Amino acid sequence: MTSKTSNKTSLSQTDTIVTNALMVLALIASSFIIMIAVFITAQGILPLITNNRGLGSVNLWHFLTDTVWLRGDYFVSTVYGAGFLIVNTLYIALLTVLLSFPVGVLTALFIARIAPRPIAAAMRTIIELLASVPSIVFGLVGVGLFLPLIYNLARSLGFNSAGGYSVLGTVFVLALMSIPTITAVAEVSIRQVDESLAQAALALGATPTQANFKIVLLAAKSGIFSGVILAVGRSLGEATAVALVSGNARSGPSFGLFQTTATITSTLLQGLKETVGIDYDIRFTLGILLMIVILLTNAALNFVKRKVGNQDA
Amino acid sequence: MRKTRLSDRLLQISTILSTLVSIIGLGLIFQFVFARGLSLLSIDLFTSNYYGHNYIAELKPYEEMTYSMPNFDDEDVFVIERFGIALRQGIDLAGNGVVEVEYVHPDSPFNTMISAEVGVDTVDMDANNIIDRISYVDHPTSLSRRGAEVMASELNDPERVINQVFFADLGGGIRGSLITTLWLIFMTLLMALPMGVLTAVYFNEFAPVNMLTKTMRTFIETLTGVPSIIYGLLGISVFVPLTVALTPAVNTNLIAGSMTLAVIILPIIIRTTEESLRVVPQDHRAASLALGANKTQTTFKVVLPQATQGILTSTFLAIGRIIGESAALIFVLGAIVRDRVSIFEQSTSLAVHIWSMMTDEPANIALSSTIALLILAVVLILNVSIKLSVYLFEKRGKQ
Repeated sequence: MTSKTSNKTSLSQTDTIVTNALMVLALIASSFIIMIAVFITAQGILPLITNNRGLGSVNLWHFLTDTVWLRGDYFVSTVYGAGFLIVNTLYIALLTVLLSFPVGVLTALFIARIAPRPIAAAMRTIIELLASVPSIVFGLVGVGLFLPLIYNLARSLGFNSAGGYSVLGTVFVLALMSIPTITAVAEVSIRQVDESLAQAALALGATPTQANFKIVLLAAKSGIFSGVILAVGRSLGEATAVALVSGNARSGPSFGLFQTTATITSTLLQGLKETVGIDYDIRFTLGILLMIVILLTNAALNFVKRKVGNQDA
Repeated sequence: MRKTRLSDRLLQISTILSTLVSIIGLGLIFQFVFARGLSLLSIDLFTSNYYGHNYIAELKPYEEMTYSMPNFDDEDVFVIERFGIALRQGIDLAGNGVVEVEYVHPDSPFNTMISAEVGVDTVDMDANNIIDRISYVDHPTSLSRRGAEVMASELNDPERVINQVFFADLGGGIRGSLITTLWLIFMTLLMALPMGVLTAVYFNEFAPVNMLTKTMRTFIETLTGVPSIIYGLLGISVFVPLTVALTPAVNTNLIAGSMTLAVIILPIIIRTTEESLRVVPQDHRAASLALGANKTQTTFKVVLPQATQGILTSTFLAIGRIIGESAALIFVLGAIVRDRVSIFEQSTSLAVHIWSMMTDEPANIALSSTIALLILAVVLILNVSIKLSVYLFEKRGKQ
């Protein structure tokens, strides 16, 4: 086999062996994503199609629409509902973007076009550091710092909050986590905007601020949107920090800012008691659901990006 | 005209305010972690166990003598010359008085005692222990709640013969999680680094430009967008059964955890290595080939050494990711803190240790913050190292 291929190309025999060996490695490396899809789907589909050792199968429609995670007891009941988790997950991601998008983009604009060079360099380092803080630390600071604040805020406004575990706390933590992502991507795309565009605006009598906001930001909107898509993907998939501050509600959906909540990921992390049985397998079903939600959200956002984005980008 | 100026100023201020949010956010995180975690930071933290342990011990036969003791200039420390130990009146985290062991003389009979526990011969007392009570032959027991001063004076009484010593090791250390984290870093890099670097070499130097290569690249790129909790599911459905079948492991374990982490960091290593391979001048390859070297020699002796900086950067990035990873490891490694770490068993990394304590009732925010402080310090050092390595290699390249 090696001699055949070496006739075709100018490579020596060693080269052919090395090429093939490396290709095998590369094939393994690229097979992991397939492995993820196949294995999680294979196990996640079990609760829906088998009778779960005599308990009966999980009703898919019920699973997708119900507002209570589990009616009945663990390992006995198969009445799982993740409908409210889907709504919560998307709702929290939406609120997070509403908070982190303006802050992230304005920060990027400041770094890229307004700040003096040393300040811009310092800010880049700060953004980099914030991006490299592990999510568990965000969760810890959320619990120790944000939750008491939210608890007091809720009390002073006359609301009840369960120790601060709330939609608002989750959104704060996720927003702080996604600002560096949005800022980093937006900053790069703002800097890539052709300087002549801004110069032309200035020549036509625009103030520097007008040029920045009306010309540069618009020209960079495609790149900025990519950053937003990345950040939304992260907030949808973030698990530990959310599980620590959300309060892990077992039913929902929760729209009130001071209500406890739960997302697909935070529910996935709750009490892994056994490694067999329905309560174990249903996590993989949730995993499939999470991947579908992320893929669909990504697709929808990419569609919007193409609609509103620059034609040439 | 004036109105425009005002709106200009407002917009400009809005950018500055937004920038402040990130600064304040980072500042709050560091401030919180320092304020809550700094007080527990000590050498003992790294060397002691997480779980406390109670000991019951008897003294070995000893000679009555007076030990020469160091001078403790502290009114809470009480010296017992008869046994060569010093006790401190302390307060535990709940505010109760405790008797702490301050010092044990190397020749003291308390240094190594006979354990009353089944299957354990001797037990050592050291300055990390607290004494609960000491019982005597024909005398009432010394209790820690009467204070260190009373206990010290009773111990100094030559009439009393010690029957049994009840003492405890407070725990609260992170030695086990630290060892697990080091294991994880070592084993993960051992698997992912060669695979990642060689895959990058394949893509940049050997791979033909065709659909297959393009698809493979897309597949690897897609891995970066997968949330870490999904990797956790991959781990428990593939790597845990695999390690259970092939090794003595019976449950989630450190090897499966490393395998999962290896998949997580693989795209980082591939991308960073490829970036640095791409900037190696084409002339170098051509020159090497012209001198008669084959493609393999050219790649591994001429091109790859020039990518050292990229590989180093990817290693630092990977270590940061390994140290910070929590969601995937909760599934694949478990969330039970262990003092004795085995690669075939469950344990926790430092990040998962935080998770484990934060999901406990009540949450241990103080120790969690101390661990977070350590993690942040390491992340900071890694960031600086990356910058430094880029700077040093650039400088060397220019010479």
